[in-house]
Amino acid sequence: MLFFSEKSLTAWLNHLMLDRTVLAPVRGTNDLVYFQSITNSEAIFIKSQNAALSPKDWFFPRSETIMSFITKDGKTQIIPATMEKDAVIFGIRPCDARAISLIDRPFLAEPVDALYQERRNRTALVGIACVTVCQECFCTSMGSGPFDPGALDIMLTPVDSGFAVQVVTDKGKKLLEKAIIQDRELTLPKPPEVKPVPSAGVTEAMRRVFNNVYWDRVADRCIHCNICAFVCPCCYCFDVRDYKGKDRIERVRSWESCESALFTRAAGGHNPRPSKGARMRQRFAHKLLYFPEIFGELKCTGCGRCVRNCPVNIDIREIIHDVQKLARE
Amino acid sequence: MSQPIRDKARELLQTRKVDCVIGYERATDGITARPLFVYDVKDVDRLIFDRTCVHNLSRYLRDRRDRMTAIVAKPCDARGINMLLNEHQLDRQKLFIIGVVCHGVDERCWGQTDTRQQARCQWCRQHVPPVYDFLVGEKPAGEPPSAGFPDIEEFEKKSPAERRAFWEEQYRACIRCNACRHSCPGCYCQECFAENLDPTWIGIRIAPAESQIWNLVRAFHLSGRCVDCGACEQACPVNIPLMLLNRKLQKDGIEFFGFEPGLSAEAVPPFATFRKDERPGGEG
Repeated sequence: MLFFSEKSLTAWLNHLMLDRTVLAPVRGTNDLVYFQSITNSEAIFIKSQNAALSPKDWFFPRSETIMSFITKDGKTQIIPATMEKDAVIFGIRPCDARAISLIDRPFLAEPVDALYQERRNRTALVGIACVTVCQECFCTSMGSGPFDPGALDIMLTPVDSGFAVQVVTDKGKKLLEKAIIQDRELTLPKPPEVKPVPSAGVTEAMRRVFNNVYWDRVADRCIHCNICAFVCPCCYCFDVRDYKGKDRIERVRSWESCESALFTRAAGGHNPRPSKGARMRQRFAHKLLYFPEIFGELKCTGCGRCVRNCPVNIDIREIIHDVQKLARE
Repeated sequence: MSQPIRDKARELLQTRKVDCVIGYERATDGITARPLFVYDVKDVDRLIFDRTCVHNLSRYLRDRRDRMTAIVAKPCDARGINMLLNEHQLDRQKLFIIGVVCHGVDERCWGQTDTRQQARCQWCRQHVPPVYDFLVGEKPAGEPPSAGFPDIEEFEKKSPAERRAFWEEQYRACIRCNACRHSCPGCYCQECFAENLDPTWIGIRIAPAESQIWNLVRAFHLSGRCVDCGACEQACPVNIPLMLLNRKLQKDGIEFFGFEPGLSAEAVPPFATFRKDERPGGEG
């Protein structure tokens, strides 16, 4: 089995930083852990639970200029956004990597989102297996698991004084060319227990309870902030607006959420989802009904961030339980 | 304290005095609390009240202002009700207030039992709701301590450059999820300035400049109105100490105008009046 000692891992990361952007979990403002571009491997903080926000931000930034328009001498020039250097995301967890593979489905379907595609092609994912899980994790019910290498390029599993290395893709193999890796006998830790939720058949159940008053009852306490969507590693709704400057216009894309009242309001004031219940249902229907019907997979990876962060405890695990129960009635 | 709340809720629903009771129940972590809307007598035993009940439930009342509603109100929630009554947002006749005596609530930390009391609670002197129809809990004996702002006084000692650096770091963390706005009983504008398109006061970018404008204007729009409930700070997913901003404005409100929001539904708030003799920093 391949083995990375802590020292050779550090050397490898420092080598990658020479010509690449390396993102890793770093302890930031108010002690929360975020993925940030690093210039020194000492800043990496992986001995904690998963980061407060997933590295979705790298592929689908909270805000980005998707193109600029410059008018000069009566001519208008359109400048597309591009990426400077190749990138590596180090320390991503299996659930968050799977989330990116889910966002791929709409963003890489025709018409392809070119900006997203470029970032995706030029970024490698080096994951770390979860040897402990949080009480709100339910990844095993959502097609992933603490040791799932599925959506990664390289998977590292913590072992004594280093990591077991699993090369998953050719991109990963290439990335490891200059790394000092030994081949040795290793005892891998056991994957931790994850509490399951009854996700099997939930798409059919969602269809059946679509018009149930249940959604209005859950929406009673929902305050319609955007926390759940913004901390979600696989929510991908956005808004686009032009920012006018003196000599240029920037077309800006920013995260938006189906929970906000303005999200679906059309010119003239019509809103196809006018009630809190309709907006609440939309969030769960997108994850558990529409996305699976179109792409064949549930749009949730069980990372538990929405459960942990919702100020009024709208808990997707409970929703799945309730929907299954209501569908049987 | 939960039992008398349940008994009252049952009575109110059975006699059809109200068709909904808004209170708290245990959240799915088994530790924290979450808001609960009770429509049916069979659900009243889910109601609880303890130190984990941090949400300001008065923020839900405008959604139900044409229907008879009972609400479990600790002093913060009751102050929220007074603030809303003061601004003609609620009909007192449609409300039944189950007041609860409060000796402070804890930080809302999902899944954690070792939480601390919220800082603002140690300087609070409003242990009994200023308005209620039925009171649960013993009124504390003796005079409450005078309201103080040691946290703000401490922060004011920092130089302007230090304060600026502190807040710039905090605003950089903001993801503009608007949870501060939506958890607040005072943030009820039909169209928030942040979403106004013509003129566009603030863009859609989730970036430091926009976050700074958002956070500052949000706080200013609540000056003379913030009831010190801490709901925004408890909701913030990136732990921005919003009460430091809010409490600074409360302190100014008391020092300049002698006004504390939410203590009475009749008092005229400073921003709803104009007196020729009032001067910034002067008396009254």
